[in-house]
Amino acid sequence: MEERTNALLLKYPGTNCDFETARALEAAGFSTKILPIARFTEESLKSIQLVVLSGGFSYGDYVMAGRLAQLETERRVGDALTRFRDSGGYMMGICNGFQILTKLGLLPEGSLIDNVSGRFICKWVRLNRNTDSSPFLKGLPESFELPIAHAEGRFIAPSGLAESYLEDGLAALLYKDDINGSSCQIAGLTDETGRVFGLMPHPERFLLESHHYDPDWKREDDGWGTGYFIFKSIFNEISEGVSNQ
Amino acid sequence: MGFLTAEVVGKFESEQDTSKLLYAPLEQSATFRKSRVYQIKYDGTEEEAQSFVLKSLVDLYADEVSFSGESYFKNFKFYIDYGMKPGALDLEREAIISSQKGFNVSEFKLLSLELSQRIYIFSDPDIGPEPFVRDVCNPAIHVWSVTDSDGRKVA
Repeated sequence: MEERTNALLLKYPGTNCDFETARALEAAGFSTKILPIARFTEESLKSIQLVVLSGGFSYGDYVMAGRLAQLETERRVGDALTRFRDSGGYMMGICNGFQILTKLGLLPEGSLIDNVSGRFICKWVRLNRNTDSSPFLKGLPESFELPIAHAEGRFIAPSGLAESYLEDGLAALLYKDDINGSSCQIAGLTDETGRVFGLMPHPERFLLESHHYDPDWKREDDGWGTGYFIFKSIFNEISEGVSNQ
Repeated sequence: MGFLTAEVVGKFESEQDTSKLLYAPLEQSATFRKSRVYQIKYDGTEEEAQSFVLKSLVDLYADEVSFSGESYFKNFKFYIDYGMKPGALDLEREAIISSQKGFNVSEFKLLSLELSQRIYIFSDPDIGPEPFVRDVCNPAIHVWSVTDSDGRKVA
């Protein structure tokens, strides 16, 4: 029987980037299922290699972005996602998904709070890759652009921790410029296993070359935008593991 | 049955110009701070109630919380509390209540929850609450009150 590389995309009330994220996962090669949190059980993780939490405004960002999604996830499945990670599973959180993974304690200690401007920011930003080892970023250049769209994207951590994340590569993705007041200009974090990755920018919104704001932007002649290679990198990493089993 | 008031303030926030709140800036200089106020009735111990607030309503990295029932900030000109009208659907309140109901890990029961946003206005010149009430509160969905620096409700 053909081994498939399966992704599960969890959808909360208010998640609104699930369709385009599923499209990006499919384009990279994943067999993808979108599952509402109301139907999520530990059983849902069977045969899944990658769990994705996409962008949006889960539960209206009430209380704070990601908090109610965290509580609902814990209520439904306890620490099943932690066990999934510990048993070799991969997880990716994009924007609101990053906020949820942080609240769930699956990423290094810290929080994502209101941008220092106090305003929602929607723009393209330049990012620098700060690690060579993340399986999510292996196929990416050292510097590239992605769009952001968030009000609560300013990463903060207890004193000294952000600097340590920077040094040891857990701060995998950095804004080139100070966009939102994030400590050490952190845009994305990976956990110590490297299997959990969260980022504020939206790679699924730069799936195709034609998604770029500059109509003359060109990478190579394959038509893919830079965001595609985040999904492709993790697909390659996981599918190599699946085929070696 | 117990009562608890929790006021939550972002510790990374600072005073900002009131022009951010208003459609037309004031001629006088004034600043503001925001907080969230939760009033809960519960069955259980006060420690359980505080634990619920800390787990569900507070970001331990980014927020500070006061359970004293007194205004968090001093030296303000006045503050405005506003929240959803009792008859209006308050999705935030509903989401918090249903989330708490689902846990049921102790004897603690949340009997009622009222939440409001609080805006403190700091100003040397004598300015009134009218422009803030007009531009921040929506009479179709909100109820509000204004409290002066002596703690008296003035609107």
